[in-house]
Amino acid sequence: MRALFALCPAAMLLVPLSPAVAAEKGLIIRAGEMVSEPFIDAAKAGPVTANQPVTIVEKRGGWTNVESGGRKGWVRTLNIRLEAGARPAGSTGQVASLRTGSSGRTVTTGVKGLDENDIRNATPDMAQVAQLSSLVVSPAEAQANAAQSGLHEQQVAYLDKGKTKEKGK
Amino acid sequence: MSGRCIRAALTVALASLCLPAASAFAQIPDIGGIINAAKGAKKLGDSFRKISDEEEVKIGGDLAGIVLGAAPLANDPAGQHYVSRLGQWLAMHSDRPTLPWKFGIIDTDDFNAFSTPGGYVLISRGLLDDMHNEAELAGVLSHEIAHVVRKHHLQALQTSLRDSAVGDFKDYIGGPGGLAGQFASALVNAGKDMFVRGLDRNDEYEADRMAVVIAARAGYSPYGLGGVLQTLSAVPESKGFALMYKTHPLPVDRLERLDIAMGTRLDGYEGLVDDLPSFVALRAPPPPPPPALAAPVKKGKRRQ
Repeated sequence: MRALFALCPAAMLLVPLSPAVAAEKGLIIRAGEMVSEPFIDAAKAGPVTANQPVTIVEKRGGWTNVESGGRKGWVRTLNIRLEAGARPAGSTGQVASLRTGSSGRTVTTGVKGLDENDIRNATPDMAQVAQLSSLVVSPAEAQANAAQSGLHEQQVAYLDKGKTKEKGK
Repeated sequence: MSGRCIRAALTVALASLCLPAASAFAQIPDIGGIINAAKGAKKLGDSFRKISDEEEVKIGGDLAGIVLGAAPLANDPAGQHYVSRLGQWLAMHSDRPTLPWKFGIIDTDDFNAFSTPGGYVLISRGLLDDMHNEAELAGVLSHEIAHVVRKHHLQALQTSLRDSAVGDFKDYIGGPGGLAGQFASALVNAGKDMFVRGLDRNDEYEADRMAVVIAARAGYSPYGLGGVLQTLSAVPESKGFALMYKTHPLPVDRLERLDIAMGTRLDGYEGLVDDLPSFVALRAPPPPPPPALAAPVKKGKRRQ
């Protein structure tokens, strides 16, 4: 058992944390007010300005709890961009060849890209199109899986462009 | 932008004149070219407006062949099935639920997703691998579904094809399939233009607004797409993102537009999910339990 306990902390370090958690750094997109709780009518918790750096503490749907200059508050999730290079260690992408095993794949050695020239030089591959067609899942299977997964369908109306007080768009 | 209003108000021929001006990547053709283009575009515009779902699917299949010719389907049966099933479920909550939708993962490290008319949707393995949860995947697939639903590609193709001979469009549609024929080769070139230049920027914003609604209708958090845009907002314009950056508005601009459109309007829905255990399992298959930690101890206890 002693050996077990000794192993645990090391093992836990290997388990990737949820990539959306803490220590992400962001920048406010548009100036506005933080609120003290994740509700639109909650008490104001101080102003934020465009490009103000914040530390992301917690995300809760449309709201994100941030800390900046010793103050904490909630801002709209979509009003935050992430700071370049501030992505969590477990995430991939920036340099594909450094990809970790977080997606269950081994390290990629040769990076396969898809750029403008690849498209320009492509010869249409209709055998691949046929293969794509063979992947189709029936609506009945999709429906059954959604029910089994506990997904709750909603009636939601489409959005218009919306308006903002800061900028007329 | 004024291009949208103008486009809605004027005739097909006039609109096709205005479209290039509204596009961020417009090239300004000479006057003679515009006049000739308008003649062709009117003819083709009429054709495209009247095409049936079947004709749209044929065009979409030929265009999907271009992307698949550049990056084939990933050899990942479980992933392909998962994306196909989710895509079908999302498409059932769009305005064109009965199209023969097809979804696939293409084998490239780049971050991108493509769609073509008639319901073809392709997402890159690189983008999929970097997602935080299933709501993000739902957001991206729904964005592509929205392009198909709103026929954004047909508008872009119409612009590209305006200088091409279009007389044999009917022969192409009525033909035996494959890519022979004048129209078919013009279509392939127009498709390549579309993939490297992108769609109208306003169409991208519209697809974002529709995507969050489709995702929520299907039971997913509408903030998944925003999560992907945040991920993209943090990366430099390095190689793996070049084509995506060239063909879409900047992620931060899309975030801002989406924030303004959504406000708190989609916050009140109960039971929407960010992730599902099946998605976590798909991407990070649990390693087999370490043999040292298993059986012997428990067995002994059970016997007592």
